[in-house]
Amino acid sequence: MIDNLIDSLIADAVELKPAPHPFTLSLQWLGVAAIYLALSFALFGQRPDLAAQFHQPWFTAEIAALLCILVATSLSAALLVFPDLHQLRGFAFAPLAAFVLLIVVLFFAWQADTPPALLPVHSFECTISIALFSLLPAGGMFFVMHHFASTHYRWAGSVALLFAFSVGALWLRLFEVNNSIVHVIEWHYLPMLAIGVTGMWLGKKILKW
Amino acid sequence: MTGKNDNLEVLMQLALKGDQRAYASLLQQTSHLLRPYLARRLNSAGEVDDLLQEILISIHKARHTYDGNRPYKPWAYAIAKFRLSDFLRAHYADQLYHAVDFDELEEMLPEDVTETGFSYESIHAEVQKLPEKQAAILAMMHQDGYTAKEVAAKMEMNESAVKVAAHRAYKLLRKMLER
Repeated sequence: MIDNLIDSLIADAVELKPAPHPFTLSLQWLGVAAIYLALSFALFGQRPDLAAQFHQPWFTAEIAALLCILVATSLSAALLVFPDLHQLRGFAFAPLAAFVLLIVVLFFAWQADTPPALLPVHSFECTISIALFSLLPAGGMFFVMHHFASTHYRWAGSVALLFAFSVGALWLRLFEVNNSIVHVIEWHYLPMLAIGVTGMWLGKKILKW
Repeated sequence: MTGKNDNLEVLMQLALKGDQRAYASLLQQTSHLLRPYLARRLNSAGEVDDLLQEILISIHKARHTYDGNRPYKPWAYAIAKFRLSDFLRAHYADQLYHAVDFDELEEMLPEDVTETGFSYESIHAEVQKLPEKQAAILAMMHQDGYTAKEVAAKMEMNESAVKVAAHRAYKLLRKMLER
């Protein structure tokens, strides 16, 4: 029975190009995300006080933490699409460290926010904007990941969606004139928890093979 | 190049280049490698064969995710473990799906006794050998025609306890009658 199966499998064995290394894959995703962000800024502009904001240490630290999340999630997603995580299991947990870094930065930014900046008049609109902005990268990620063979499809889905949402969060932070850290935590970053859970569900639906 | 002791990594590299002999050898060696692993975790040889086939197909589908530059075995075992978990999950879900609920079983058992061709009267002597409470419950249910709910009310027990007692009585009766 097994021999028959092997015969039929080898009959189907044509030359096949191996998948790119996860580091290459991660760099490709980051490159596409950078182009997407650059195009968005070219089309819609950026916050007018951006240069001044970069003189605020906690704003700069927040953007740096977001960039760390971007890099960590792209790397982790690239590893999670390989059945054996390309035998670099440790790197797959990189997003945890990046999120801890973001939490620490947000905590200090919140402490430093005295007197607290005024809350903007809008609220959930930010979450919706980030989610809409993230749709394209999320779709692209899942499309690419679908062609691999993840044995951790829930985690892969979750990390992929977090990567896409981070692209959106980074865009909005550099686009929207808003200095309220409370608003940012509530409507930009906390929804990431729900996004992570949604990603698990999507991963099961899309990445299971 | 296709001998038994060939390096699995090299065989996969050759297979990815379209070498069918290398690929056949790799799959043969992989199945020899995985069979004992599966046999230790599954009950029947049939299940082992089925799952082994699924794993080989998965390895075939996922072979582009292996480049030959890292150890082959962890890669193959990762796929095997993944398919084994899937198989076990489906297996236990199926068992649960087909399992008869205990309450349903209790409902079914009195019917079984009455449908076996013998009446309560014909096994009266055996019923009397049961513990007093169980005998009383069976007498009320099968001689007097009370439902479990009515028996519970009469004996100041709850309905589930009556059903459980009846179920135990049926088991004891069955043993007695089988002797």
